[in-house]
Amino acid sequence: MILKLNHLNQKATASTQALIEAVYAMVAEGQLEKGQFARLQFELDWIQYKQNFRDVVTATQGFTNRCDVPPPIMDIHIDTRQVKPENLQADLCRALRVAGSEMAAADRIPLEDYKSMRRSIVWEFNKFYWRHLNAWEQAAGQGYDQALPGGGSDGHNPKAIADDVEEFLDLLQQMKQQDKLPPEINLLEIGVGSGSRCAQWLDQFEAADRDRGTGFYPQTRFYMGDYSDDTLNKARPAVARHISQCEFIAMDAANPIKALPQLRHKVMQVHLTNVYDNLPDEEVVRRDGKLYFVQVRAFVPLAAAQRLSEEYDVPIAQFHDRVLRMIDEGFDQFGGPRRGVPFWMELWSAMRLEERLVRLEDLPEFPFPDGLDADRMEDILQEAPTDFRFHLSSVALESFVRTLPLLHPQGYLQVFDIFVTDMAQYRTGFFGPGKLDGSLLNWVNGALLREVAHREGYDVHFRPFKYRKDTKTSILYTTRRD
Amino acid sequence: MKFSDLPILPTSIVGSYSMPHWLERIKGDYFSRRISGRDMDDIYDTAVKAAIKDQEIAGLDVITDGEVRRDNMVDYFVERFPGIQIDRSSKKYYYDFYDMAVRSKLPTASLGLVQDYTFLRNFTDRITKFCVTGPHCLTKRINNQFYPTEEALAMDLARIMNLELKALVKAGCEIIQIDEPYYSGFPEDLEWGVNVINTLVQGVDARIGLHICYGNRYGKPSWEGSYRYLFPTILKAKVHQLTLEFARRGGEDIELFKEFNAPFNLGLGVIDVKTEDVESPELVAQHIRRALEFLPPENIKVLTDCGCFHLPRDVAFAKMKAMVDGAKIVRKELGQG
Repeated sequence: MILKLNHLNQKATASTQALIEAVYAMVAEGQLEKGQFARLQFELDWIQYKQNFRDVVTATQGFTNRCDVPPPIMDIHIDTRQVKPENLQADLCRALRVAGSEMAAADRIPLEDYKSMRRSIVWEFNKFYWRHLNAWEQAAGQGYDQALPGGGSDGHNPKAIADDVEEFLDLLQQMKQQDKLPPEINLLEIGVGSGSRCAQWLDQFEAADRDRGTGFYPQTRFYMGDYSDDTLNKARPAVARHISQCEFIAMDAANPIKALPQLRHKVMQVHLTNVYDNLPDEEVVRRDGKLYFVQVRAFVPLAAAQRLSEEYDVPIAQFHDRVLRMIDEGFDQFGGPRRGVPFWMELWSAMRLEERLVRLEDLPEFPFPDGLDADRMEDILQEAPTDFRFHLSSVALESFVRTLPLLHPQGYLQVFDIFVTDMAQYRTGFFGPGKLDGSLLNWVNGALLREVAHREGYDVHFRPFKYRKDTKTSILYTTRRD
Repeated sequence: MKFSDLPILPTSIVGSYSMPHWLERIKGDYFSRRISGRDMDDIYDTAVKAAIKDQEIAGLDVITDGEVRRDNMVDYFVERFPGIQIDRSSKKYYYDFYDMAVRSKLPTASLGLVQDYTFLRNFTDRITKFCVTGPHCLTKRINNQFYPTEEALAMDLARIMNLELKALVKAGCEIIQIDEPYYSGFPEDLEWGVNVINTLVQGVDARIGLHICYGNRYGKPSWEGSYRYLFPTILKAKVHQLTLEFARRGGEDIELFKEFNAPFNLGLGVIDVKTEDVESPELVAQHIRRALEFLPPENIKVLTDCGCFHLPRDVAFAKMKAMVDGAKIVRKELGQG
């Protein structure tokens, strides 16, 4: 048996000791076979998100279609933040009992079959959240920004914007001196939301440009990208004063170049704040030199489903279908958002993910995200820990490689987000998925982005976000490789 | 086939063909010492034959070896100069550039390019072209710790390479293309850069083309701007053809050829190698027609914007085919089809 303590939070010491005792008790009481014991790996995580998709104890069974391979592995994850030592043995027994079975256990209502995390229904919920953000915010009594750990978006930090503007002006002046300034100075922000950062940035840029006497402002085109025209229309008033410098582009954050082919090699700065951490993701586990792909199945614990069923007149037999209907059609079946939103909020809060690890028998055939392939993955893993679980950051990676072609040779990409900057970091904690209001949150595998960028002709750097104390945000920026 | 048999608007790629993914992997394995040099040479021979065959089937008039033997446009050459010291540990992937330095005067030596040219010659009956990276570009990658100026280093590189170009001609090479992408990044070097080119080609009895683009490292431009910076200095270059990229950048600069009455043929880039979108033959024809507004057809050669190194093979092939078909459309319009 392997025991991995993925953190050093002292509040968790009691549960570590309790675990050892519980495991020995389970062996002694015949709840755990000795053969099974050897294949177990216990991972103790301090889950930073108050809201997440894990039960206090989760068992993740290895799975393979081949019958000629040894019995599969099993990982058991324990949330040391929430675990109660006195319940640990019972929680462990229950987790072991339900792990990995194709049939869902009787104590839960599955919302899907096992599938790649990237394809999971939880991302439909994520989209649903952004579509019905106003309804959620009204019911929650606070805006999305206020739900963020710092009480606001780091992208809006005035000092960060001021510094960025000054650096950008330095670059433009340098290019002008070298006679390399393009006739149009294009900027792109992906995921503009309310438009507030764009407005602040343009205010600052206009003022600094005037102070320096550089006269770049009239040449500037600020492309504001978000997923729908509705969202962009809401952002318009924020930049009303700069409207002649702005373009509004409805775009899929996963494929910026598709939305803006005319800007290929023409954008001086692309900015994103907290977009990558909210894009569909999947995870890979490396154990004993072998790779496993994490498949998930979203479910609602039966007790929670029964409570919701009674309160919102949703027959338990129709529970699954009614949830899907809500995602597709909205709240009409509940007579509107007034009853529908509380159902949604409680459902989301109760929702969990069970997992299984599917052995990757054939790495080259694995559907890697754009920018990554089996060869590159093997290269990356050569220098990575031998036993760990990591994010592929699938759609963030695709977005990244489909943004780089937009950059002017002297242009750069700048991302404010939560990044894992070294693969080894994954052995020191849990990095998502978590829940943030009705949306999902994953740390972004910056180490992987850095490797992929190398092949695309860019170096990726990270610097701490120095404008807010104790923030986990860091700033990714690119420079061209020679 | 003889040079004089070429049709009007002859087609060719600038130099490199698609680097197949499998070959990238094998190069990596060779670099990691998992494949012997002998096996690697054999693999290269096979890859070159495949690149030649693809060009022939696509219908190109002038054929290159696809440059698939080259890790990149710099290392392939600098490794052949005995006096250049290379830090072999300095690159992570085969396509990275080595760190390299010159600490003493470069000795005169054969660079061994003839062998690669002869291989190409032996496997096609069509007109062949051999491409070399120019001294200016090489100089920009070398840490010069000996020569008083970059120009002096470039001149010495040109002196040595000149002997190699003559050897290529002796081996039957009719067209030599010199690649100088760094001019666009360092326009202030152009005056001496042209002097270096003239030293490089002095007494070389072949059709000399000079390819100047805005960079294609990792399939992306390294600079942007207008070719106006080339004129009038470039008019002093003793070359037969100037090959420029127009498909990606638009054709506004073509008029410079007329404005300055340029004494060269125009190598007209009609295929954007920095996108996987395949051009239609009609689009290629439009690019050619635009050039015909400024130059007679016999002064126009039809090429890709730059090398196809970064394109997937199927895309590169489709683009070559579109280029050939586009040239055919215009030839027909000119009554030469």
